Amino acid sequence: MFNKAKMSMLLILGLCLAMGLAGCGGKSATEAASASSNSSTPSTEISLYTGGSLNVKELWETLIPAFEQANPTIKVKLVYLPSGTGGQSALDRLLAAKQSGQANVDVDLYEGSLDDISKGNKNGIWAKLDTTGVPNLNNIDASVLKQVDDMAVPYRASSVVLAYNSQNVPNPPKTADELYDWIRQHPGKFAYNDPSTGGAGSSFVTTAIYNFLPAEDMNSSDPAIAQKWDQGFNLLKELGPSMYQQGVYPKKNQGTLDLLANGEVDMVPAWSDMALEQTSKQLLPDTTKLTQISPAFTGGPSYLMVPEMSTKKEAAQKLLDYVLTPEAQTIVVNKMYGYPGIKWDLMSKELQDKFASVSASYRQFNGGDLQQEIYKRWQTDVAGQ
Amino acid sequence: MMMNASVKKGILGLALVIPSFLILFFVVIVPIVYAIRESLIDENGSGFGLANYIRLFTEPTMRKNIIYTLNVTIVSTLLSLVISYSLAVYLRFGHGWVVKWINRLYFIPMFVPGVIATYGLITMYGNHGWLSRLLLLIGIDTFPKIIYDYNGLVLANLWFNIPFATMLLSSALAAVPNSVIESARDAGANIGQLFFRFVLPLSYKTMWVAITFIFMGVIGSFTAPFLIGANSPQVLGVAMQQVFSNYQETHTASAMAVLMFLLCSVMGYFYIRTMGKEG
Repeated sequence: MFNKAKMSMLLILGLCLAMGLAGCGGKSATEAASASSNSSTPSTEISLYTGGSLNVKELWETLIPAFEQANPTIKVKLVYLPSGTGGQSALDRLLAAKQSGQANVDVDLYEGSLDDISKGNKNGIWAKLDTTGVPNLNNIDASVLKQVDDMAVPYRASSVVLAYNSQNVPNPPKTADELYDWIRQHPGKFAYNDPSTGGAGSSFVTTAIYNFLPAEDMNSSDPAIAQKWDQGFNLLKELGPSMYQQGVYPKKNQGTLDLLANGEVDMVPAWSDMALEQTSKQLLPDTTKLTQISPAFTGGPSYLMVPEMSTKKEAAQKLLDYVLTPEAQTIVVNKMYGYPGIKWDLMSKELQDKFASVSASYRQFNGGDLQQEIYKRWQTDVAGQ
Repeated sequence: MMMNASVKKGILGLALVIPSFLILFFVVIVPIVYAIRESLIDENGSGFGLANYIRLFTEPTMRKNIIYTLNVTIVSTLLSLVISYSLAVYLRFGHGWVVKWINRLYFIPMFVPGVIATYGLITMYGNHGWLSRLLLLIGIDTFPKIIYDYNGLVLANLWFNIPFATMLLSSALAAVPNSVIESARDAGANIGQLFFRFVLPLSYKTMWVAITFIFMGVIGSFTAPFLIGANSPQVLGVAMQQVFSNYQETHTASAMAVLMFLLCSVMGYFYIRTMGKEG
C-alpha cells in the first residue's frame, strides 16, 4: 500500500512535470507557427484533437498528408490522446474556456462520441455545420445529422456483431431469440465479455435488457426505466449456466475473441472492426464469419465537432469536407475496418460486398448514467448469482 | 565554539532529513489523509460519515469480495511461505547438481513482467492449454478448471511470490552456521527438531519479512486477478478499479483503498513488533 501510494504519487508528479514541459513545448510551437504564417506563403494551422486506440492515430496519419497535399495552405496538427490518458481533459478544457469567457481555443476539430456532443451542447460549445461550409454533408444520411442537431459529423462507425466459427455453426441465428435458443442448446459454446470491460459484452447485455422494452427507451436516461430491467436480467441469469464454463465472462473485448480464436467457443459478440481486422491479419481463423441479428446489437459512429470558439473554422470545415469524400471514406473503411460515415451507395461496389454481412443497421444506446447502473446490477445479479 | 559546532551539526542533520521527510510527507502522508477524507464523504449524499464503510460490509457482493480477498491472500501467503521455506532449506543443506541448477534458475520468474507471466499461465493451464493437451495425449480427457477460478489465482500468486521469498529466506539460512547443525545432529536431533529448534529460530525475523512482503503483494494485486480471476467474487484490487473507473464512485473506491490499507497495517504492526524485539 505504501509502495503503491508512493508509486502513484511519483507518477502524478512525473506527469505534472511532463505536462509543464509539454506546455512550454506547445507555446514555442505556436510561436513557431505564427512566425511561419508571417512568412511568404500564408498558411493556417489547425489542431485536431483525437483519441482512442492506436488505429485511430494511424488513420489520421494517412488522411492528413493526403488532405495537406490537396490544400497546401492548411497545416493540420494532430493531437492524439491515447484512450484513458486525457481525452476527457481536452473536452473539460473546452468547457472551462467557455465558462471563463475566453475568446478562442486552440482546438479546431475534436473527435468524440455522442456523449461528448450532448455534454458540449448543454454549454453551447459546438458550432452548427451546414452545406455551404461543408458541401459533402449531403453525402450523409439526413436523419443521422438530425440526431446531433447538425453539430457534428459522423465520419466512421462500427457496431457489435456476432462473430462465429462457420465450421461448427452452419446456420447462425438470425434473431435475438434464435441466438438465446442457440446458447441454451450449445452449453459452453458462447461467451460474452464482462460488460464493464468492453463494448461487445456491454452491447450483448444492454440489448438483452432493452429487447423487452419499447425502442425509444434506449435513448432515455430516465432512472425510472431501471425498474423495467427485471425481465432482461432474468434472461441473462437464466443463460448464465449455458455460457462458457458455466458462466465465465472474460475481461475486455479481446478476451472473448481469444476464446473464439483457439476454438474454445463457437460464437461471441464482437466489434465489427476488431473482428474484421483480426480476420484479415489471420489472428482469427479463416472460418470466422460475422453476422448481424435482428433486433441488432448496438454500435455507434465517431463524430468530428468544430468548437464554436475556434478561430479557424473555415480551414476546419475544409478538412471535414475532405473527410466526407468517398475517397477519404474508402481509406477510413480500409484502415479501420469500420463503416463509412457517408451513405453506403456512394462507396465502391467491392467494399459494399465486403461489408454486406455486417452493414445492416445497428442500434444506439444513449442512456447516459444508466449504463453504469447496468454494469453494477450485472455484477451483482449475473456474475454473482 | 563547542556549542556552535554542535548546533551546526544539528542544522546539517535536519537539512539532510528534510528532503526525505518532504517526500514522505507529500507522497505518502498527504495522499493517505486525502484518501481517508474522500472515503468519509457519503457516495449517495453529501455529508461526512461512515456510510461508505457500512455499505462495504453490508452489501452482499462487496462483503463476498472482502472475504474472498482475505481467503486468497492468506492461503497464498501460507502456501508460498511453506514452499519457499522448504526450497530454501533444501538449497541450503542439500548437495548435488539439482541444487546447483535450482539455485541458478529459481529467481527467473522475478524478471518476467506480470502481464506476460499471466498470459503464460493462461496458455499453460487454460481449458485448451498445453497441459490439458499433453494430458489428452496420454488419455486423460478431464481437466480441472484452473484459469478463471480460485485455483488459478492462487497458482499465479505462488508463481509471483515464491522466488522472492526463497531469496530472502536463503540469505537468512546462509547465516546459520554449519557447526550448529552438525553438533545438533551429533547429539541425535531429528529433522523436525533441527528445523523447529535451530533453523526456524535463527531465521524467524526474515520469515516475518517474507510474510509481510507476500501478504502485501497479494492483497494489492491487480493484473493476474483481472485477467484470470473469476467474475465474482473479485479480489479487492479488481473490484476497486471497477468501482472507480466503471461506476465512477470515487468515494466508495477510496473507502475500499482505506480498508486495504488497514488490512496491510495489521500486517505492518506484527512486522514492526517482531523487528523491534531484541533489536
